[in-house]
Amino acid sequence: MSTSKRITLQQAAEIIKDGASLTFSGFTIWRRPMAIVFELIRQHRKNLHLIEVNGGSHTEFLVGAGCVDIWESCWVGHELYGKYGANLSRKVAEKKIIVEDYSHAEMMFRFAAGANGSPYAVTQTSLGTDLHNPEYDMLGRAGLRDGKRIAKHKYQFTEDPFYGAGSQVLIPAAKVDIAVLCVQQVGEEGTVRVNGQYYSDPEVARAADLTIVMAEEIVPEEYLRRSADRNTIASFEVDHILECPFGAHPTGMFGRYDVDGYFLKDFYGMTRTQEGFDDFAREWIHGQDHVSYMEKLGWSRMQKLKANTALNYSVREKGGK
Amino acid sequence: MATEYATPEEYGLADLMCCAASREVQDNEVVFAGTGLPMVAIMLAQKTHAPKLKLIFEAGTLDGRPPEIPTSVGDARCEIGASRSSGLYDAFSIAQRGYVDLGFLGGAEVDEYGNVNTTCIGDYLSPELRLTGSGGNPDINSFAKRTVFIMVHEKRRFTPNVSYITSPGWRVKKWPGGEFVHRRELYGAAYRGGPSAVISTAGVFRFDEQSGKIYLDTCHPGKTPAEIKEMCFFDLDISRVNGETLPPSREELRIIHEVLDPEQIFIPHPVNR
Repeated sequence: MSTSKRITLQQAAEIIKDGASLTFSGFTIWRRPMAIVFELIRQHRKNLHLIEVNGGSHTEFLVGAGCVDIWESCWVGHELYGKYGANLSRKVAEKKIIVEDYSHAEMMFRFAAGANGSPYAVTQTSLGTDLHNPEYDMLGRAGLRDGKRIAKHKYQFTEDPFYGAGSQVLIPAAKVDIAVLCVQQVGEEGTVRVNGQYYSDPEVARAADLTIVMAEEIVPEEYLRRSADRNTIASFEVDHILECPFGAHPTGMFGRYDVDGYFLKDFYGMTRTQEGFDDFAREWIHGQDHVSYMEKLGWSRMQKLKANTALNYSVREKGGK
Repeated sequence: MATEYATPEEYGLADLMCCAASREVQDNEVVFAGTGLPMVAIMLAQKTHAPKLKLIFEAGTLDGRPPEIPTSVGDARCEIGASRSSGLYDAFSIAQRGYVDLGFLGGAEVDEYGNVNTTCIGDYLSPELRLTGSGGNPDINSFAKRTVFIMVHEKRRFTPNVSYITSPGWRVKKWPGGEFVHRRELYGAAYRGGPSAVISTAGVFRFDEQSGKIYLDTCHPGKTPAEIKEMCFFDLDISRVNGETLPPSREELRIIHEVLDPEQIFIPHPVNR
């Protein structure tokens, strides 16, 4: 029982099949499951459908490597280390990817609906914008709205039938095959403890059909159960667990290590062209495994990023400076 | 004690914009800010004239009091001194519920009704350049009572028609037809306000709430109304100009450069300071 959920990094990537819909823990450049993302790229995964509350560096790696057919979200970039998603921009210009745009709150509420079993959510955000332009329903234009995993409509509009509050937007629940999380601690039975902001992790884990949790450390389940009020996700919501220290690098992890600004700036700079991305992937992903990747980064880099455990961030480096 | 204002050689444009933005905040307000200059502006207000403002970061911290600038809204520094640290569902629920007085946002293009684009340049179906996408821009702008946009001023960015309306201004599109209507008509009971100012690298602009049209309020030192009018592709109203943008005070500059952002992550040090 206690070890039945444990898998390896390779197995985690193998569970995610070509054509799967995927979502992730974290926020932009924080707590993204990068070690699994790199393994997916090594295994040449194809035709993925990413449905995310927001995108970030992990999106840019998967998109650059050609793993993604559909990206459904609201934002991609590397925050202060890269002002937009150069790989996504290039693939959009080349019409090699379908982008379905929603607003950030819409994506969050779509996952909240998915997490509580509702078919849709209701909101009043983004009225009057081109997000709601019927011409810009890209999954509809591609003939992919089958009403099964992809909703029949991008939006529906209605008037409040209860209080007369006027225009309301109905947005479909997010239906996702697999959520891949990267957190500080998971117990042997799957209980998750996130430190710091938990972003949209509880909702994405609950909305997905299958949840894989990669943690900095697997800890005794009874340790987490001694303070259940500090836990984020319940054991039975998690299907598979694995331990992978620094698995979020180059993204950051509260209390453990900061975002690697140099790495992301370098990546962003190189990914203006596909050749640049391919060179970067050849150097850092292909032919590597997580241990050789860490060795290549080196201890001097890692010790600069290591968080002060009282402050939860690094005091040796800030924002890549 | 009289405020000591800095002389033009003691500050940069980023300082001026940051201070102008900070002055949009009133004490006790609930303010929502994104990564970058908006964050510096809001924390400057918190450390000067608005010590009781409630700061919300989109990634999920409520009423935070970070001593120094976080590197992004997901940074560990965001939750220092916070009343609550949680996630995006909380942040957006609180905004939709109507708690937010003021939002600080950015944009790539703005039209004369305050519609802002952060999605793409050129035709959406075949864009010249795909940008980051909406992020929380339309959400904060839909939910807050007032929003302030901070933008680089280039003529192509101040345009009669933005490539894509990411974030709703005062006159917005009514779907499915796409005809323009006043925001009030569309938002119904959820109507709380809209864009209140644009702070660019050239001046400060405001909106007439009835007509929804932008006008020039103050020129940054060294710029004239005629020059700024020439820097917009739409016909800018310069009949209501209210002088020059107030420069930063020496105390504001000290807080920006010595307390909030000494590493110059978002605001470069002025050369002669």
